[in-house]
Amino acid sequence: MNVAVMKTKAEQAISESFEAAAAKLPGSAAVKERRAQAIGTFGGLGLPHRRIEEWKYTDLRANLKEVLPAAVEDKTPLTIGELIVALGPLAHVDAHRIVFVNGHHRADLSDIADAQGLAISTVGKALQSASEEAVANLASTPAGGDAVEALNTAFMTDGAIVDVAKGASVAKPLLIVFVRAGSEANAVTVRNLITVGEGASATIVEASVVLPGAVRDAHFNALAEVSVGKGATLNHVLSAVDEGKSLHLSNCEVTLAADATYRGFQFSSSLGFARHGANILFDGEGGKLDLSGAYLARHSEHVDNTLVVDHAVPRCESRELFKGVLDGHGRGVFQGKVIVRPDAQKTDGKQMSQALMLSEDAEFDSKPELEIYADDVVCGHGTTSAELDSDLLFYCRSRGIPEKEARALMIESFIGEALDKVEHEGLREALASYAMQWLGRSPRG
Amino acid sequence: MLEIKNLHVKLQDEDREILKGLSLTVPKGEVHAIMGPNGSGKSTLAYVLAGRDGYEVTDGDILWNGESILDMEPDERAAKGVFLAFQYPMEIPGVAGLTFLRTALNSVRKKRGETELTTPAFLKLAKEKGAKLNIDIEMLKRPVNVGFSGGEKKRSEILQMGLLEPTLCVLDETDSGLDIDALRIVSEGVNALRSPDRAFLVITHYQRLLNYIVPDKVHVLADGRIQKTGGKELALELEKSGYAEYTNKAA
Ligand SMILES: Nc1ncnc2c1ncn2[C@@H]1O[C@H](COP(=O)(O)OP(=O)(O)O)[C@@H](O)[C@H]1O
Ligand SMILES: [Mg+2]
Repeated sequence: MNVAVMKTKAEQAISESFEAAAAKLPGSAAVKERRAQAIGTFGGLGLPHRRIEEWKYTDLRANLKEVLPAAVEDKTPLTIGELIVALGPLAHVDAHRIVFVNGHHRADLSDIADAQGLAISTVGKALQSASEEAVANLASTPAGGDAVEALNTAFMTDGAIVDVAKGASVAKPLLIVFVRAGSEANAVTVRNLITVGEGASATIVEASVVLPGAVRDAHFNALAEVSVGKGATLNHVLSAVDEGKSLHLSNCEVTLAADATYRGFQFSSSLGFARHGANILFDGEGGKLDLSGAYLARHSEHVDNTLVVDHAVPRCESRELFKGVLDGHGRGVFQGKVIVRPDAQKTDGKQMSQALMLSEDAEFDSKPELEIYADDVVCGHGTTSAELDSDLLFYCRSRGIPEKEARALMIESFIGEALDKVEHEGLREALASYAMQWLGRSPRG
Repeated sequence: MLEIKNLHVKLQDEDREILKGLSLTVPKGEVHAIMGPNGSGKSTLAYVLAGRDGYEVTDGDILWNGESILDMEPDERAAKGVFLAFQYPMEIPGVAGLTFLRTALNSVRKKRGETELTTPAFLKLAKEKGAKLNIDIEMLKRPVNVGFSGGEKKRSEILQMGLLEPTLCVLDETDSGLDIDALRIVSEGVNALRSPDRAFLVITHYQRLLNYIVPDKVHVLADGRIQKTGGKELALELEKSGYAEYTNKAA
C-alpha cells in the first residue's frame, strides 16, 4: 500500500476508514487494486483547500471535521410508500426509475421493466464481475487530478450504468434515485456511467433525496461519467435536496462527440456544504452545451458550482446560466472556466451567473474565467448580484399579495429563468415545487 | 368616501415637500379627475394612496370609509378596496400573468373573508374578464407585462382592477401611450366598473381621457395643492388655456 504521509486528522481518518472498509467494498481483485491506487492518489493530494484554485472558496480541508464510516452495506427497510415520500414532487413525474438506498441498489424499488432503448445495469454488479471491460470502464477517470474523484474510486459501492441505444429516442425520463434513509450517519459514494449512442436522445435525472426523519449528518460523493455520442442529445438533471446538514460532493465528467448536445441542469436546495464540479469536453465539432443551475442556500449553508468547459475543437457552442438564492449566512460560489484551445475557431461561448441576496449576511463569490487561445471566437460572461427589487415588491403588494408571498413570487421569478432551461415539463415543475417548498409556499409532497 | 385632509408629503431621502396641504373628498359613486402639469405631484398622491415606500407623510391624513389608511401596508389597503392602476405598469419576468392574477385575487379574497377560487373557476373568470379587454389566455400565460406594448400594459392593469373588484380606483395617467382604439377599450373597461359603491380618482394630464370617462368633478393640482375644483367643463378650459395660470399662481 502506498499510503502517503497524512496531513490532517480528517485525512488520516479517511485512510483509516478505507482500511476498515476495504475488505467489504465490492469488487474483484483488479477493482481492489484500483481502489488502493486511488486512496494512494488521495493520500498524495490530501483534501482540497483554498489554495487550490478550483477549490478557492470551498475549503474542504477546513470544513471536513468528522469522517463518517463508509456505507459498505445497507439493510435499511424502505417501502415504496416511503420512497414516494422521499421523492416529493419528483414522484409525480412519469419516469423509469432505478433506486439506490444509502448507496446500494434496490431492485424492489426500481421500475425499469419497459425502458425501451435503455440498457440499465448497476455499478455494484460490474464491480463484482470479473469482466476486464467493466473494471476498465469504472476505473477510467481519476488517474491524477481531483482528490474527491479519487475518493469516489476508492469508496464507490454502486450506481447506475446506462446505455442509450444508437438512434433511440427515449421519451420517458430515467430517474436514478439516491435515497438517504435510516439513522446511521455514514458516507455514501456512488458512480454513474451514462453513454448515449449515436443519434440517440434521452432525459436522465440523478436525484439525491432524503426520507424525512433520516439522519441529517451525512456525506455523499457522486461521480457521473457521461459520454454523448455523435449527433446525440442528453438532457441531464442533477437534483439534490437535503435538510441543511449534509456534505454533498458531486462531479460530472462529460464528453461530447461531434454535433452532440448536452443540456445539463444542477439543482440544489438546502445542502449543508456542497460542491458540484462539472467538466465538459468538446471532443468533436458542432457540439452544443447548455448547462444551467439553480441553488438555494440559507442558514450557514454553502453551495459551490465549479465548471470547466473545454472547447478543444472548433465550431462548438456553450451556454451557462446559474442562479443562486442566498439567505441568512448562506454562501454561493460560482466558478466558470471556459477554455478555448488554439484551433477551436468559431467557438461561441456565453456564461452568466447571478445571485439574489436575501440577507446582508449572505455571501456570493463568482469567478468567471475565459482562457482563449483562438482568435475567431465569440465569448462573453457576466455576473450579477442583487437584492429583491423593492418596486416590484410594491407592485405585487399593491395587488393584495402579502409581503412573504410577494417575496416568494419574486424569488420564483428569479430562478424561473434558469428552471425554464429544463425542457421536460414534469421535471421542470418538480424542481419548481422543490423551490417552492424551500420558500415555504406549500407543504412537502 | 375618500377624504384626504391637509396632506403634506415629502420624499424620504430628500428634504423636498411634494404635496403641501392637499385636501380632497371623493364620495362613493363619483368619478373625480385630477389634472395638473408634469411634476405637480399627481403620481406622488397616487403612490401615497397605495402605500409605496419612499414618501413620508409629515402632516394630514387619508381616510377611506372613515378609517385612516396611512398605517396600513399596501396589501392591507388592497384588501380594503384600494387599487392603483400604475402610470408605468411593471414587468415581472418569470411570473406568468395567470399565476400573478390568481395569487393576487386569492390573497384579497382571503383577507376579505371570501373563499379562494379553484383553478378552473379562476380561469373561467379570467377568460371572461380578459375577453372584454381583448386579452386572451395566451397573453395571460406570458410573464406579467414582459414585452407588452404600452396599450397591452394598460389593458392588463384594468383587467387586474376588474378581477380584484376594488372600491377605490386610482388611475394614474391610464391614457398615456394609448392610441384611440386602446383608449376606447380601456375606458369601456373602467366605465363598466362604475357603480354606486365605487369611487374613482382619475389622474390625467390631458383632457382627452375625460371624453370617455366622464367625471363628476375636476380638480387642478399644482404646486402640491388643489388649486381649483369644477365640473367636467373645467377640463375643457384647461385644454385651451393650459396650466400656466396655476403654476404662475404657485410661483
Ligand atoms: N421617488 C422619487 N424620487 C425622487 N423624486 C421624486 C420621487 N417621486 C416624485 N419625485 C419628484 O416629485 C415631483 C412630483 O413628481 P410626480 O408625483 O411624479 O409628478 P406628476 O405625476 O404630477 O408628474 C417631481 O419633481 C419628481 O421629480
Ligand atoms: Mg405622474
